[in-house]
Amino acid sequence: MSRRIVCAIVWVFVAGTAVAASAQSFRVQCPPSTITHPNAANNNAEPAYTGATNGSTYVYTPGGASAGPVNGAIKCQQISGGDGYATMGDGTQTYLFAFGPLSGLADVANGLPGTQFPAIFNTLPAGPLLPGDPATTDNASTTTTSSGTFGFNGAVGLIPNLDSMGDGNCTGAACIDGHVDPRQIMDVGVMNGNVPAPLMAIDEDDEYFLTLSNVGMIMRPDLFEQHTVHFHGYPNASSFYDGVPDASVAINIGGSFTYYYLAPDAGTYFYHCHITPPEHLQMGMVGQLYVRPRQNRVPSGTSVFMALQAQQSDPRTACNPNTDILCTNPLPYSIVHGTDNSPDGGFQAVDPATKKPLADPETKKYAYNDGDGSTQYDVEYPLQIHGFDPNFHFVGMTFNPEGFADMKDKYFLLNGRSYPDTVTSGPLTTQSADGVNHFSQPLPAIINIPAGKKALLRISDLDVSEYQTLASLGIPMTVIGINAKLLRDQSGNNMYYKTNSITLGGGESLDVILDASDTTRYSSGQVFYLYTPNLDHLANDAENFGGLMTEVHIL
Amino acid sequence: MKALFTTAFRKTGLLLMLMMATSLATTPLVHAAAPGIKGSTFDLIAQPAFITQPDGQSVYSWGYGCAPGTSPDFEPKTIVGGVCNSMQIPGPTLIVTEGQTVTVNLVNALPAAAGNTSILFPGLQVAASATASQPNASCTPTTAIAQGLLTTEATHGCSVTYTITGTTPGTRAYYSGTQGDLQIEMGMYGVIIVLPSTPVKGNYVSPTQGCVADLESSNSAARTAWGEADFRLSTSAYDDPHTCYDREYLFQFSEMDPRIHEAAFEQVSAIATCASSTTNMCPTGLDVPTEPYHPAYFMINGRSMPDDMDPNYSPQYPHQPYNGNPHLHPGEQVLLRIVGQGRWQHPFHEHANHVRVLARDGNLILTQDGKALAGPALFTTTTTPGQAMDGIFYYTGRGLNWDMYGHEVASSTGDPNATLPCIPDANGYNTGNPAALNYYEWCQDHTKPLQVSPFGDVPGGGPATLPDPNILTNGAWYGGSPYLGPDATTRATGATGTTPPSGTIANSPSGEAGFAFMWHSHNEREITTNNAFPGGMMMMMLVDSREFQIDESN
Repeated sequence: MSRRIVCAIVWVFVAGTAVAASAQSFRVQCPPSTITHPNAANNNAEPAYTGATNGSTYVYTPGGASAGPVNGAIKCQQISGGDGYATMGDGTQTYLFAFGPLSGLADVANGLPGTQFPAIFNTLPAGPLLPGDPATTDNASTTTTSSGTFGFNGAVGLIPNLDSMGDGNCTGAACIDGHVDPRQIMDVGVMNGNVPAPLMAIDEDDEYFLTLSNVGMIMRPDLFEQHTVHFHGYPNASSFYDGVPDASVAINIGGSFTYYYLAPDAGTYFYHCHITPPEHLQMGMVGQLYVRPRQNRVPSGTSVFMALQAQQSDPRTACNPNTDILCTNPLPYSIVHGTDNSPDGGFQAVDPATKKPLADPETKKYAYNDGDGSTQYDVEYPLQIHGFDPNFHFVGMTFNPEGFADMKDKYFLLNGRSYPDTVTSGPLTTQSADGVNHFSQPLPAIINIPAGKKALLRISDLDVSEYQTLASLGIPMTVIGINAKLLRDQSGNNMYYKTNSITLGGGESLDVILDASDTTRYSSGQVFYLYTPNLDHLANDAENFGGLMTEVHIL
Repeated sequence: MKALFTTAFRKTGLLLMLMMATSLATTPLVHAAAPGIKGSTFDLIAQPAFITQPDGQSVYSWGYGCAPGTSPDFEPKTIVGGVCNSMQIPGPTLIVTEGQTVTVNLVNALPAAAGNTSILFPGLQVAASATASQPNASCTPTTAIAQGLLTTEATHGCSVTYTITGTTPGTRAYYSGTQGDLQIEMGMYGVIIVLPSTPVKGNYVSPTQGCVADLESSNSAARTAWGEADFRLSTSAYDDPHTCYDREYLFQFSEMDPRIHEAAFEQVSAIATCASSTTNMCPTGLDVPTEPYHPAYFMINGRSMPDDMDPNYSPQYPHQPYNGNPHLHPGEQVLLRIVGQGRWQHPFHEHANHVRVLARDGNLILTQDGKALAGPALFTTTTTPGQAMDGIFYYTGRGLNWDMYGHEVASSTGDPNATLPCIPDANGYNTGNPAALNYYEWCQDHTKPLQVSPFGDVPGGGPATLPDPNILTNGAWYGGSPYLGPDATTRATGATGTTPPSGTIANSPSGEAGFAFMWHSHNEREITTNNAFPGGMMMMMLVDSREFQIDESN
């Protein structure tokens, strides 16, 4: 009985507090330190991976430290949920429901992730940001059209918390605590939709704070739509942060919500809004998200195999096929059993004493914690397959009832672009209904591979209506991962395979390496093609040319 | 004015969800599993009937069912009230044991205009014959059956007998082998499950005895400790120690183009009433175009969301007995039997974790030495027409970096559940006491806070500040707090969860408060019912704390 009374008291308390806090709307979250990453000075760069964070007997105790070294850092990002316009391959302006960048504006415009460390996220712009930025100004002069010198990567809207400052609770930079000026968020966020949505990239062991600020859809004021972010493929996600409005909370217009995750296992994931998915996904609320492996942080000259062994001592990072049916990166069989000491065909540096592969001193880029260096690459390109039905987008802009059953895509997109826009460098600019230019499609889809190198393609598909095939005319595709999992059996044998085409439905991803290391076959200046053999998809609506195609250039 | 139409669509969806939620609220039990019928003889009949869709439409269909007057043996025994009508979609799930030879008698009670019919059992040894006893006096062993293109067929009003042997375990589709473009579209498909003859169970003893993952014993102990019945058909999917499971669900994906069904109904009716004369030649067979194909209904187990979340054998759906509404506890190994029927592929996306593919069409995928699993782990399991896959899913919350049970060392309410211990096993889980509320908790995050400064009796000092509930809209399956289970939710937010409005009706904060995840086709157009969202190939999967008793009996 006493418990029930206590609960009732708690509830009254909650209800009262909720009312008191109702003034809160937009805000961002990016703590410089947390209990997992307690030292703020260490959270603005990725520390080297020298050992497991915790052992098998570790249990958190309040105020206690991790058993081993603190790994990973803190990363933050802010995106808007709203609308915008994009330019199709035939020049048509297409209406979008879309996410847009509200942090890392300069990086996103350069085709990079908008994900930032706290020291960058929690900074203020040089001057006021204007609608269309960074397509309109360079943020140094309000009258200069952006010439690529726009350098601001912090969170849009941040201002010092004057209340907190006035109360003597903070001074200086500490007053930048997530408090925002909503005018800035509306100025930049309205009609700044991107397709694909701003790129996100984090590292294993990072804590990631993603703030979604719903700025409303100016062209569809009748809809008063909520938005969410679904982190597609996250293993052991919580339903609270899973972004399904039916199973959790959805963010109303004028509100911000910060999603919190410890980075999951390395792999190619993606994200999208989960409100009325056939509509919001078709309309463009789709983006790319990938997680880089611990193995990238292994110090040069140390063995990546030993690093994978070290991960086995922490049950969170371990992969034991005998107790975990979803374990996909067990220790590589070839090295454990000594059947192959240079599994990467000799490309990987090998320790002469232990015969174990060493972390590649040059790139230190791997797709997964493979332990044998077999997923090493030099350059990476996220590629998202999508399709737009111009009919549906027109109906979506013009207050008409939408039908779903006869949805038929006519634009076939790689990173929101159709050929030949796929090979255009830099962001595509579209003038929106507000008369302002916006960077609508910031991410080119051209694949540039330095001669003799390997490219990792992180391919995801968020098409809403049909399966699509992407073929490589030239360099074979080596499939190394599927659905954000290393392609390895539970005995530790790599199951990679070569193919010249892959087929994905909506909600699937895979990792492909284009290996151009044979310079006699793939020499500087050569051009190859990635295109769809679904030949009716090589079109931009009525134009019998374009569609799902891009170029691979050997530099 | 036009905007109203769009709003109307949305309102319809909302209404559907409310209706759904209400029905759940009045039916606290959950119903799922993989029910079917077992025996050495299956007396089936192919018949027309109308099935219902959540938009109110009744769709003329054909399907397999149990012959009238027969008394099928329903499995699992823990599900009571099994019904096998003379027509159902999907057809009865046939459960046989590896090595067993069974007889399937099929009576063709389709309209005469539909012609012959049959069943294909791809992947199994089949022999066909006409039986001596025929339902129709005009049937003789020579007229009863006809050799079709793919298999032996039963002529109208007559029956054919198939003798099949469950050579290897696994899940496989069965479907009509006669004019498949029409008959399968009309609903003539089902699943046959072959159970292993020597199922593996218990803890690991040796490579040939006990389950490799060593979970089956303790998960069974937890089930017993919390008073739950066992709804499995077996303990392992194959005669292999990697394939043990604690719970199982069957999902069959298909789609319907209502125009085909309407045309079939019109022609069947016209032919039946046609008066033949010298001036009027009646057609004898159907001529229903099955292309171009524009499906508008996308179904799992013959039902569209939200109907698929109503119970198995629900009287509202006399011809659609099977549901799709999985529930599971943290740590349980859940066998998914996923089958593509119909003619399209569907990317079935399982929120919350990956699925390890064990087998395709009953073929276990192992490493070359046969000692380990080699199928992929997928978060989207594409269904392909006629193809079945078996996979294992689980959820533990590992690596969330906050305690999903909201354990609080310095509990202010004195709730003993707030201060439960977590003692990690070799894999970091609390498995020592199967009767504990937090059995299978991920111990690294035990008592680790989520919220910076929570209101209730859950730990503070965490990384996240939750927003004002007023700027959020709560879903019908939102448990009322970020935490798992009624105890933690009540401690965190009170017995009604963080509202306003008190919108959580399908997953009550004080009764269930599970983690709800959507499992659906990711070709998102297919989560609609005849152009209305939500609907189609969609369901909610709930991860429930041990406080909530998962009861799949009817």
